[in-house]
Amino acid sequence: MSFDMTVADATSPPKSMARLFGLGVFVLLVLFAVLVPMFWPLDIAKQDYSAILSSPSDAHPLGTDHLGRDMLARLASAVRLSLGLALVSVVTAAIPGVLLGILAAWKGGVVDKLLGLLTEMFLALPGLLLVLLIVAVFPGSFLALYGAVALVLWIEYFRMTRALSRTVLASPAVAATRLLGFGPLYVIRRHLLPELLPVLLTIAAFGAASAIMAIAALSFVSVGVKPPTAELGLMITELLPYFSEQPFVIAAPILVIFLIILSLMLIAGGRKP
Amino acid sequence: MTPLLKTDALEIRTAERQLVEPLSIELYPGRVLTIIGETGSGKSLFAQGVVGNLPAGLHAHGRVHFANGFTEEGREDGRKKLWGRELSVLPQEPWLSLDPTMRALPQVVESYTHVAGRTSSDARQQARTDLKRLGLEGAETRFPFQLSGGMAQRLAFAATHAGGAKVIIADEPTKGLDSARIGEVIALLQAGLAEGGALLIITHDIEVARQLGGDVMIMLKGKIIETGTADDVLNNPQHEYTRVLLGADPTRWSPRKRPRPQGESVVTVSELTAERGGKTLFENLSFDVRPGEIVGVTGPSGCGKSSLGDIILGLAKAKAGKVAHAAGARRVAFQKLYQDPVAAFPPTITLGRNLVDLVRLHRLDASRIEGLMTRLRLDSVLLDRLPGNVSGGELQRFSLLRVLLLDPVFIFADEPSSRLDLITQKEMIELLVEAADKNGTAVLLVSHDEALVDAVSDQRIHLGTDVPSSQPHLPQRTALAANV
Amino acid sequence: MTRLLTFRLMQAVMVAVLVGALTFLLMSLLPGDAAYRIAAGRYGYDMVNSAAADAVRAELNLDGPVLSRFAAWIGDLLTLDLGHSLVSGEPVLAVVAHELGGSIRLAVGAVLLSFIIGPALGIMAGLRPGGLLDRGLLLVSTAIRAIPHFVLGVLLVLVFAVTWRLLPSAGYGTFAHSILPTLTLALGLSAVSSRVARDATVGVASSAFYAFGRLKGLSGFSVFVRHGLRNIGVPVVTYLGVQLVYLIEGVVVVETLFAWPGIGHGLVHAVFHRDVPMVQGTALAMGLLFVLLNTFVDLANHLIDPRRRDA
Repeated sequence: MSFDMTVADATSPPKSMARLFGLGVFVLLVLFAVLVPMFWPLDIAKQDYSAILSSPSDAHPLGTDHLGRDMLARLASAVRLSLGLALVSVVTAAIPGVLLGILAAWKGGVVDKLLGLLTEMFLALPGLLLVLLIVAVFPGSFLALYGAVALVLWIEYFRMTRALSRTVLASPAVAATRLLGFGPLYVIRRHLLPELLPVLLTIAAFGAASAIMAIAALSFVSVGVKPPTAELGLMITELLPYFSEQPFVIAAPILVIFLIILSLMLIAGGRKP
Repeated sequence: MTPLLKTDALEIRTAERQLVEPLSIELYPGRVLTIIGETGSGKSLFAQGVVGNLPAGLHAHGRVHFANGFTEEGREDGRKKLWGRELSVLPQEPWLSLDPTMRALPQVVESYTHVAGRTSSDARQQARTDLKRLGLEGAETRFPFQLSGGMAQRLAFAATHAGGAKVIIADEPTKGLDSARIGEVIALLQAGLAEGGALLIITHDIEVARQLGGDVMIMLKGKIIETGTADDVLNNPQHEYTRVLLGADPTRWSPRKRPRPQGESVVTVSELTAERGGKTLFENLSFDVRPGEIVGVTGPSGCGKSSLGDIILGLAKAKAGKVAHAAGARRVAFQKLYQDPVAAFPPTITLGRNLVDLVRLHRLDASRIEGLMTRLRLDSVLLDRLPGNVSGGELQRFSLLRVLLLDPVFIFADEPSSRLDLITQKEMIELLVEAADKNGTAVLLVSHDEALVDAVSDQRIHLGTDVPSSQPHLPQRTALAANV
Repeated sequence: MTRLLTFRLMQAVMVAVLVGALTFLLMSLLPGDAAYRIAAGRYGYDMVNSAAADAVRAELNLDGPVLSRFAAWIGDLLTLDLGHSLVSGEPVLAVVAHELGGSIRLAVGAVLLSFIIGPALGIMAGLRPGGLLDRGLLLVSTAIRAIPHFVLGVLLVLVFAVTWRLLPSAGYGTFAHSILPTLTLALGLSAVSSRVARDATVGVASSAFYAFGRLKGLSGFSVFVRHGLRNIGVPVVTYLGVQLVYLIEGVVVVETLFAWPGIGHGLVHAVFHRDVPMVQGTALAMGLLFVLLNTFVDLANHLIDPRRRDA
């Protein structure tokens, strides 16, 4: 093989296309989660022992699980839970993260140092471990689950906002703008936000993905959401023993969680900053 | 005498378009050929065509002959085998051209072992000798980021020279260097010549061409418009463009001899001392700036030229001393022009948007914009562009427009033309001088180019210790003879 | 360097305090008599009687203010006095030490395997950006990154253990047992490291120093070996630090799925049974392992990138 790079002007597949595709899948998932309960109002906990692990039929378009519960209703409920959780924790994390990030970059000095140290210390513990411990303290509490995820996520917003704001605020462009007489609000509107927003979108999408994965992982190992709640990780763990009998049933939650994470990653674009 | 390298109607083109017209050159041992041209003239592309490293999408047609008999059609790439052996290239940005994770010595040693085929111990010894000769003794174990720009340039020279090539090609070898560094690079190149090498130099700097001597070609839009010895062409240009180009060289500008303007000082600096990282930049500097006066500040890079301007504007802090602005002057009447104009605009909004914001903020008379744009030769289509999509010269003139709208009493121009071509530079400086004359704006002009500062300043301040002077201590302040 | 190690040491203390605080809270919120539980934690359920509980109550001043109780709790933790499991009665330290060995084997195996897969493919893709391998790798790595660890593990089990019956689905002991858990973690890590290596290769191969190496007269191969590899390694190693989070999180899930006797499995087990001393011990071990691995990455960074040595 050659060790010289052959195509210097090679372009990666159009990023915006991937992002658009991700957005499309994501919208479909949201519609699925919102519309199914309106048109298919079956109880997700209602067991039907006459129809265990049944294949798709008119009565159960996506079949039933090992307790005869309707998979369509359960999947829609699970997607709603995951997306709802992601939305709440991402928003909860973003607000203090961004505001404190801008504050630290703007003020500098002691405020900046203290906040910086605090977050770096927090990073000493892997996020999932922190969530797991908090969930252990408050078992079965949704609020604790949301709170724990938000507590892990806000650090990313803070760090990126701080780093980016610092670069932007120290740039000659901001110095020039200030010299021309513009105030801090103008600097935020015309310099800071245009640089911050795309990065925040990326962090939000990654944050949502990792929140969903964390909850699913905890439920998968039976320390997260409790039955009979429909949750993707929990469904996979419950259905795993019945794979040989009815492979289709476990394939559904696996495909759905894959699509959720994929769409979020494509929306985020590229790699974690 | 046979040439070491010769091109035969070498042409550079894309699939659709010709970029450089067929050009034949001959490089002889001990001789220099300098191709002079502005940005975009195609001079660098021609050099890359000779070397055989054109960017993807560009092709060379014609032939390249070497002294060893190797001949190649331009579009092939067999010349890669001759790199380092017959043909060496002095890189434009030496810092970026050295492996950041490798120490200095091995970067030279590998040329001896892998290119010249010497044994490892022999190579190390030879490389040590080379570094010593180039004044890099003690730098053998340093990494590139621990070297100064000049040291990196010399190291790159040693590394590329070790392969034994006789033909040296250098594209803008003095770009971004101050005058002391430029002298170093020229000495380096002349050392190569003295060993019987042949030089092909690509530059926009006429002073470099003059110092190197030899033959000169002037390139304009992919075409050679004038050829001859450096003496002939640079002292007695025939083509109109060459005359304009040479006239734009600050050494040829006619000095603005006039009495120092009168009036209340707009800025008074008294006993100013500044530090950076614990190092004193200058101390006890005192001067005043009058309306319409141009104060030139010169000195080598890192001497604190820009810091001086920033302190006057309040963007940086002095260690001691005082800066007084004229009583009653508004804060926004003190403005700055940046060295890199792209970095001085909000990157995500159009120039027009920025201007409208400014007009609204200060309730300015928007009807003045049109007149100013005409005066600064700015086309109104620029208003719809982002700062990144405008040429350097235009954007710098636009910065001037933005500043002039505020009726400034003082402008700190921080190397406003150092990134511009000669002709564009002259235009820019003339507009700045015009602003000083017409509007009575005082200008603090910071530049590394002493000829430029000499030509336009009413008062001159030199910072740093590099120039021999009757006052050996910091700072030296020299007023222009005419005004003393 | 010293600054760096001091920082990591501070992080280790922070881990201990955070873990201690959360488990203290966990202990306080459990129903029943705290003194009785702590005594059980120390001596095992069989040995507890009201006298022992009273002794603990007196020693830890359990009827005293919260702060002093908390200080005593943290003090025990910092002196590695971790007590006994409430479930099995075994000393926590011994169990954790045993589990840590299993986890380290899994984690190190996964990192090494991912280094064989990820950067190698990434570099080959990066030398021909836009080529078939590059596009294929982008597709595969994007897909793998969108599959959570536990789902990836489930898929591997379903394919290799359930359908093809090639490998055991869970357990510990033989080499065959370690293949699927190691592969699960390694695939996840490679999906990221291949992209990092790919982008780094494109960056290095189009850099001025790479071009200059060729212009000096070095062959394409020599330039790649002498100037390419190490510079590509810099971001790959740096990014390994970011990936450690995923590694540790993956260990928790993958060990549980494959019933691999490591601290991740132990932690989940302890949380499930509300075995507070074990929760504390395993979480502490996991947090400290994370800090330790981060320190190794720092040191590797330090070795490979001279520019960091000044920092």
